[in-house]
Amino acid sequence: MSCEEFKPMMMAYIDDELPDEDRKRFERHLEGCQSCKRELSEFGSLKEELAMVKFTEPTDAELEHYWRSVYNRLERGLGWILFSAGAIVLLCYGAFVLLEEVIRDPNVALAVKIGVSALIVGAVVLFVSLLRERLAIRKSDKYSREVER
Amino acid sequence: METVEAALIERCRRGDAEAFGDIVRAYAGRATGAAMLLLGNHDDALDASQEAFVRAWRNIRRLKCNRAFYSWYCTILRNVCLDRLRRRARRKTVDLPDDHPDPAENTGPGTLAEKNEQTERVWNAVTMLPLNHREIIVMSHFQEMSYKEMAEALGIPIGTVMSRLYHARQRLREMLEKDRP
Repeated sequence: MSCEEFKPMMMAYIDDELPDEDRKRFERHLEGCQSCKRELSEFGSLKEELAMVKFTEPTDAELEHYWRSVYNRLERGLGWILFSAGAIVLLCYGAFVLLEEVIRDPNVALAVKIGVSALIVGAVVLFVSLLRERLAIRKSDKYSREVER
Repeated sequence: METVEAALIERCRRGDAEAFGDIVRAYAGRATGAAMLLLGNHDDALDASQEAFVRAWRNIRRLKCNRAFYSWYCTILRNVCLDRLRRRARRKTVDLPDDHPDPAENTGPGTLAEKNEQTERVWNAVTMLPLNHREIIVMSHFQEMSYKEMAEALGIPIGTVMSRLYHARQRLREMLEKDRP
Protein backbone atom coordinates (compact mmCIF):
# COMPACT_ATOMS: atom_id res chain seq x y z
CA MET A 1 0.00 0.00 0.00
CA SER A 2 1.18 3.53 -0.77
CA CYS A 3 1.34 6.43 1.69
CA GLU A 4 -1.80 7.92 0.08
CA GLU A 5 -3.72 4.78 0.92
CA PHE A 6 -2.48 4.82 4.50
CA LYS A 7 -3.52 8.43 5.10
CA PRO A 8 -7.22 7.90 5.95
CA MET A 9 -6.05 5.02 8.15
CA MET A 10 -3.87 7.53 9.99
CA MET A 11 -7.03 9.24 11.26
CA ALA A 12 -8.45 6.03 12.65
CA TYR A 13 -5.05 5.33 14.26
CA ILE A 14 -5.01 8.71 16.03
CA ASP A 15 -8.62 8.32 17.13
CA ASP A 16 -8.09 4.78 18.35
CA GLU A 17 -10.64 3.42 15.89
CA LEU A 18 -8.35 1.07 13.98
CA PRO A 19 -8.84 -2.71 14.30
CA ASP A 20 -5.79 -4.54 15.69
CA GLU A 21 -4.74 -6.05 12.39
CA ASP A 22 -4.82 -2.68 10.55
CA ARG A 23 -3.09 -0.99 13.47
CA LYS A 24 -0.17 -3.41 13.22
CA ARG A 25 -0.05 -2.96 9.45
CA PHE A 26 -0.01 0.81 9.84
CA GLU A 27 2.68 0.68 12.53
CA ARG A 28 4.84 -1.47 10.26
CA HIS A 29 4.43 1.14 7.52
CA LEU A 30 5.35 3.91 9.96
CA GLU A 31 8.62 2.19 10.83
CA GLY A 32 9.83 2.68 7.28
CA CYS A 33 8.14 5.97 6.36
CA GLN A 34 9.47 9.21 7.82
CA SER A 35 6.94 11.31 5.92
CA CYS A 36 3.91 9.53 7.45
CA LYS A 37 5.57 9.54 10.86
CA ARG A 38 6.01 13.33 10.68
CA GLU A 39 2.45 13.83 9.45
CA LEU A 40 1.11 11.63 12.24
CA SER A 41 2.96 13.71 14.80
CA GLU A 42 1.51 16.93 13.30
CA PHE A 43 -2.01 15.54 13.42
CA GLY A 44 -1.38 14.50 17.02
CA SER A 45 -0.45 18.10 17.88
CA LEU A 46 -3.57 19.35 16.13
CA LYS A 47 -5.69 17.01 18.21
CA GLU A 48 -4.07 18.38 21.36
CA GLU A 49 -4.76 21.94 20.23
CA LEU A 50 -8.39 21.10 19.54
CA ALA A 51 -8.69 19.43 22.93
CA MET A 52 -7.85 22.76 24.56
CA VAL A 53 -11.01 24.28 23.11
CA LYS A 54 -13.74 23.44 25.57
CA PHE A 55 -17.24 24.75 26.02
CA THR A 56 -18.31 26.60 29.13
CA GLU A 57 -20.13 24.47 31.68
CA PRO A 58 -23.45 26.29 32.01
CA THR A 59 -24.43 27.42 35.50
CA ASP A 60 -27.53 25.93 37.16
CA ALA A 61 -29.45 29.15 36.47
CA GLU A 62 -28.49 29.06 32.78
CA LEU A 63 -29.49 25.41 32.50
CA GLU A 64 -32.81 26.12 34.15
CA HIS A 65 -33.45 29.01 31.79
CA TYR A 66 -32.47 26.81 28.83
CA TRP A 67 -34.80 24.01 29.89
CA ARG A 68 -37.67 26.48 30.50
CA SER A 69 -37.28 27.71 26.91
CA VAL A 70 -37.38 24.15 25.58
CA TYR A 71 -40.37 23.30 27.80
CA ASN A 72 -42.27 26.40 26.64
CA ARG A 73 -41.78 25.30 23.06
CA LEU A 74 -43.05 21.80 23.85
CA GLU A 75 -46.15 23.26 25.50
CA ARG A 76 -46.70 25.78 22.71
CA GLY A 77 -46.45 23.00 20.13
CA LEU A 78 -49.33 21.16 21.81
CA GLY A 79 -51.27 24.43 22.04
CA TRP A 80 -50.85 25.05 18.32
CA ILE A 81 -51.99 21.54 17.45
CA LEU A 82 -55.17 21.93 19.55
CA PHE A 83 -55.79 25.44 18.25
CA SER A 84 -55.37 24.35 14.63
CA ALA A 85 -57.57 21.28 15.07
CA GLY A 86 -60.31 23.37 16.72
CA ALA A 87 -60.09 26.06 14.03
CA ILE A 88 -60.31 23.49 11.24
CA VAL A 89 -63.39 21.82 12.78
CA LEU A 90 -65.16 25.16 13.33
CA LEU A 91 -64.29 26.52 9.88
CA CYS A 92 -65.50 23.34 8.19
CA TYR A 93 -68.75 23.41 10.17
CA GLY A 94 -69.25 27.13 9.45
CA ALA A 95 -68.58 26.65 5.76
CA PHE A 96 -71.04 23.75 5.59
CA VAL A 97 -73.81 25.71 7.37
CA LEU A 98 -73.20 28.79 5.23
CA LEU A 99 -73.26 26.79 2.02
CA GLU A 100 -76.45 24.97 3.02
CA GLU A 101 -78.26 28.18 3.96
CA VAL A 102 -77.19 30.11 0.91
CA ILE A 103 -78.13 27.34 -1.50
CA ARG A 104 -81.52 26.65 0.14
CA ASP A 105 -82.52 30.30 0.46
CA PRO A 106 -84.65 31.24 -2.60
CA ASN A 107 -84.08 34.97 -1.92
CA VAL A 108 -80.34 34.73 -2.50
CA ALA A 109 -79.30 35.63 -6.03
CA LEU A 110 -77.80 32.89 -8.21
CA ALA A 111 -74.59 34.87 -8.63
CA VAL A 112 -74.13 35.00 -4.82
CA LYS A 113 -74.83 31.26 -4.57
CA ILE A 114 -72.22 30.52 -7.24
CA GLY A 115 -69.75 32.94 -5.61
CA VAL A 116 -70.12 31.48 -2.12
CA SER A 117 -69.96 27.89 -3.44
CA ALA A 118 -66.83 28.65 -5.48
CA LEU A 119 -65.24 30.36 -2.48
CA ILE A 120 -65.83 27.41 -0.17
CA VAL A 121 -64.90 24.74 -2.72
CA GLY A 122 -61.76 26.75 -3.58
CA ALA A 123 -60.79 26.97 0.10
CA VAL A 124 -61.24 23.20 0.48
CA VAL A 125 -59.14 22.51 -2.64
CA LEU A 126 -56.37 24.83 -1.38
CA PHE A 127 -56.42 23.19 2.06
CA VAL A 128 -56.28 19.65 0.65
CA SER A 129 -53.51 20.66 -1.77
CA LEU A 130 -51.45 22.22 1.03
CA LEU A 131 -52.03 19.19 3.24
CA ARG A 132 -50.94 16.84 0.45
CA GLU A 133 -47.82 18.90 -0.16
CA ARG A 134 -46.95 18.89 3.54
CA LEU A 135 -47.40 15.12 3.69
CA ALA A 136 -45.21 14.64 0.60
CA ILE A 137 -42.50 16.85 2.15
CA ARG A 138 -42.77 14.93 5.39
CA LYS A 139 -42.22 11.67 3.52
CA SER A 140 -39.00 12.91 1.96
CA ASP A 141 -38.04 15.04 4.95
CA LYS A 142 -34.51 14.37 6.18
CA TYR A 143 -35.56 14.95 9.78
CA SER A 144 -38.03 12.11 9.81
CA ARG A 145 -35.31 9.86 8.39
CA GLU A 146 -32.71 11.09 10.84
CA VAL A 147 -34.83 10.54 13.90
CA GLU A 148 -35.46 6.97 12.85
CA ARG A 149 -31.79 6.13 12.90
CA MET B 1 -26.41 3.17 26.58
CA GLU B 2 -25.86 4.02 30.24
CA THR B 3 -28.44 2.65 32.63
CA VAL B 4 -29.37 6.06 34.06
CA GLU B 5 -29.89 7.50 30.61
CA ALA B 6 -31.80 4.43 29.47
CA ALA B 7 -34.14 4.84 32.44
CA LEU B 8 -34.64 8.53 31.63
CA ILE B 9 -35.38 7.72 27.98
CA GLU B 10 -37.90 5.13 29.07
CA ARG B 11 -39.63 7.74 31.24
CA CYS B 12 -39.58 10.18 28.30
CA ARG B 13 -41.28 7.57 26.13
CA ARG B 14 -44.08 7.52 28.70
CA GLY B 15 -44.40 11.30 28.40
CA ASP B 16 -42.44 12.37 31.49
CA ALA B 17 -41.23 15.87 30.60
CA GLU B 18 -39.19 16.17 33.81
CA ALA B 19 -37.07 13.20 32.73
CA PHE B 20 -36.52 14.94 29.41
CA GLY B 21 -35.54 18.05 31.36
CA ASP B 22 -32.71 16.06 33.00
CA ILE B 23 -31.47 14.96 29.57
CA VAL B 24 -31.67 18.51 28.20
CA ARG B 25 -29.72 19.88 31.17
CA ALA B 26 -27.04 17.21 30.71
CA TYR B 27 -26.37 18.06 27.08
CA ALA B 28 -27.35 21.74 26.71
CA GLY B 29 -23.77 23.07 26.91
CA ARG B 30 -22.26 20.64 24.41
CA ALA B 31 -25.21 20.96 22.05
CA THR B 32 -25.14 24.75 22.00
CA GLY B 33 -21.37 24.76 21.54
CA ALA B 34 -21.59 22.47 18.53
CA ALA B 35 -24.38 24.57 17.04
CA MET B 36 -22.32 27.69 17.68
CA LEU B 37 -19.42 26.26 15.68
CA LEU B 38 -21.72 25.31 12.83
CA LEU B 39 -23.84 28.46 12.75
CA GLY B 40 -21.38 31.00 14.06
CA ASN B 41 -24.02 33.01 15.87
CA HIS B 42 -24.75 32.58 19.56
CA ASP B 43 -28.48 33.40 19.51
CA ASP B 44 -29.02 31.20 16.49
CA ALA B 45 -27.07 28.40 18.14
CA LEU B 46 -29.21 28.57 21.29
CA ASP B 47 -32.36 28.58 19.22
CA ALA B 48 -31.24 25.71 16.95
CA SER B 49 -30.13 23.49 19.82
CA GLN B 50 -33.47 24.07 21.57
CA GLU B 51 -35.41 23.35 18.38
CA ALA B 52 -33.46 20.11 18.00
CA PHE B 53 -34.41 19.11 21.57
CA VAL B 54 -38.07 19.78 20.76
CA ARG B 55 -37.83 17.56 17.68
CA ALA B 56 -36.08 14.89 19.72
CA TRP B 57 -38.89 14.95 22.31
CA ARG B 58 -41.58 14.65 19.64
CA ASN B 59 -39.80 11.66 18.11
CA ILE B 60 -38.43 10.03 21.25
CA ARG B 61 -40.33 6.81 20.55
CA ARG B 62 -38.31 6.40 17.35
CA LEU B 63 -35.00 6.34 19.22
CA LYS B 64 -33.79 2.77 19.04
CA CYS B 65 -33.03 1.14 22.37
CA ASN B 66 -29.41 0.39 21.45
CA ARG B 67 -28.60 3.94 20.38
CA ALA B 68 -27.29 6.60 22.74
CA PHE B 69 -29.48 9.67 23.02
CA TYR B 70 -26.76 12.20 22.31
CA SER B 71 -25.51 10.76 19.02
CA TRP B 72 -29.13 10.50 17.84
CA TYR B 73 -29.75 14.07 18.97
CA CYS B 74 -26.61 15.21 17.07
CA THR B 75 -28.04 13.99 13.78
CA ILE B 76 -31.18 16.04 14.43
CA LEU B 77 -29.13 19.08 15.50
CA ARG B 78 -26.95 18.83 12.41
CA ASN B 79 -30.00 18.90 10.17
CA VAL B 80 -31.57 21.81 12.01
CA CYS B 81 -28.30 23.75 11.59
CA LEU B 82 -27.91 22.84 7.91
CA ASP B 83 -31.48 23.87 7.27
CA ARG B 84 -30.82 27.25 8.85
CA LEU B 85 -27.63 27.71 6.87
CA ARG B 86 -29.50 26.92 3.67
CA ARG B 87 -32.23 29.39 4.57
CA ARG B 88 -29.58 32.00 5.28
CA ALA B 89 -27.94 31.34 1.92
CA ARG B 90 -31.31 31.73 0.21
CA ARG B 91 -31.89 35.03 1.97
CA LYS B 92 -28.30 36.02 1.12
CA THR B 93 -27.81 37.68 4.47
CA VAL B 94 -24.32 38.98 4.03
CA ASP B 95 -24.68 41.46 6.87
CA LEU B 96 -24.64 38.89 9.66
CA PRO B 97 -21.29 37.98 11.20
CA ASP B 98 -22.20 34.32 10.78
CA ASP B 99 -19.06 32.77 9.44
CA HIS B 100 -16.50 34.40 11.62
CA PRO B 101 -17.92 34.90 15.10
CA ASP B 102 -15.87 36.40 17.84
CA PRO B 103 -15.74 33.74 20.57
CA ALA B 104 -15.04 36.37 23.21
CA GLU B 105 -18.25 38.23 22.45
CA ASN B 106 -20.69 35.96 24.25
CA THR B 107 -21.00 34.21 27.56
CA GLY B 108 -23.14 31.31 28.69
CA PRO B 109 -23.77 27.88 27.17
CA GLY B 110 -21.90 27.15 23.98
CA THR B 111 -19.10 29.63 24.49
CA LEU B 112 -15.39 29.09 25.08
CA ALA B 113 -14.54 27.85 28.57
CA GLU B 114 -11.04 29.25 28.50
CA LYS B 115 -10.54 32.31 26.39
CA ASN B 116 -6.96 32.91 25.40
CA GLU B 117 -5.09 33.64 22.21
CA GLN B 118 -4.55 30.00 21.37
CA THR B 119 -8.09 28.73 21.96
CA GLU B 120 -9.57 31.68 20.10
CA ARG B 121 -7.23 31.05 17.19
CA VAL B 122 -8.31 27.40 16.96
CA TRP B 123 -11.98 28.36 17.39
CA ASN B 124 -11.76 30.94 14.59
CA ALA B 125 -9.98 28.50 12.29
CA VAL B 126 -12.69 25.86 12.85
CA THR B 127 -15.47 28.34 12.09
CA MET B 128 -13.72 29.34 8.86
CA LEU B 129 -13.55 25.79 7.50
CA PRO B 130 -15.91 24.85 4.66
CA LEU B 131 -19.13 23.38 6.01
CA ASN B 132 -18.46 19.71 5.19
CA HIS B 133 -15.09 19.92 6.94
CA ARG B 134 -16.41 21.98 9.84
CA GLU B 135 -19.21 19.56 10.64
CA ILE B 136 -16.96 16.52 10.71
CA ILE B 137 -14.46 18.33 12.96
CA VAL B 138 -17.31 19.37 15.27
CA MET B 139 -18.66 15.83 15.41
CA SER B 140 -15.30 14.24 15.96
CA HIS B 141 -13.70 16.67 18.43
CA PHE B 142 -16.53 18.54 20.10
CA GLN B 143 -19.33 15.97 20.04
CA GLU B 144 -16.94 13.08 20.64
CA MET B 145 -18.81 10.88 18.19
CA SER B 146 -17.37 7.57 17.05
CA TYR B 147 -16.71 6.86 13.37
CA LYS B 148 -19.79 4.65 13.27
CA GLU B 149 -21.95 7.42 14.72
CA MET B 150 -20.52 9.99 12.29
CA ALA B 151 -21.12 7.63 9.37
CA GLU B 152 -24.74 7.19 10.49
CA ALA B 153 -25.27 10.90 11.02
CA LEU B 154 -23.76 11.90 7.68
CA GLY B 155 -25.11 8.95 5.72
CA ILE B 156 -21.67 8.00 4.39
CA PRO B 157 -19.46 4.89 4.71
CA ILE B 158 -16.84 4.75 7.49
CA GLY B 159 -14.07 4.89 4.85
CA THR B 160 -15.44 8.24 3.66
CA VAL B 161 -15.57 9.46 7.27
CA MET B 162 -11.84 8.71 7.56
CA SER B 163 -10.87 10.41 4.31
CA ARG B 164 -13.10 13.44 4.98
CA LEU B 165 -11.64 13.73 8.44
CA TYR B 166 -8.16 13.55 6.97
CA HIS B 167 -8.83 16.39 4.53
CA ALA B 168 -10.63 18.49 7.17
CA ARG B 169 -7.78 18.13 9.65
CA GLN B 170 -5.20 18.79 6.98
CA ARG B 171 -7.01 21.99 5.99
CA LEU B 172 -7.32 23.03 9.62
CA ARG B 173 -3.66 22.34 10.20
CA GLU B 174 -2.69 24.49 7.22
CA MET B 175 -4.92 27.32 8.41
CA LEU B 176 -3.47 27.21 11.91
CA GLU B 177 0.05 27.02 10.56
CA LYS B 178 -0.51 30.09 8.40
CA ASP B 179 -1.98 31.95 11.35
CA ARG B 180 0.67 30.91 13.88
CA PRO B 181 2.30 33.92 15.58
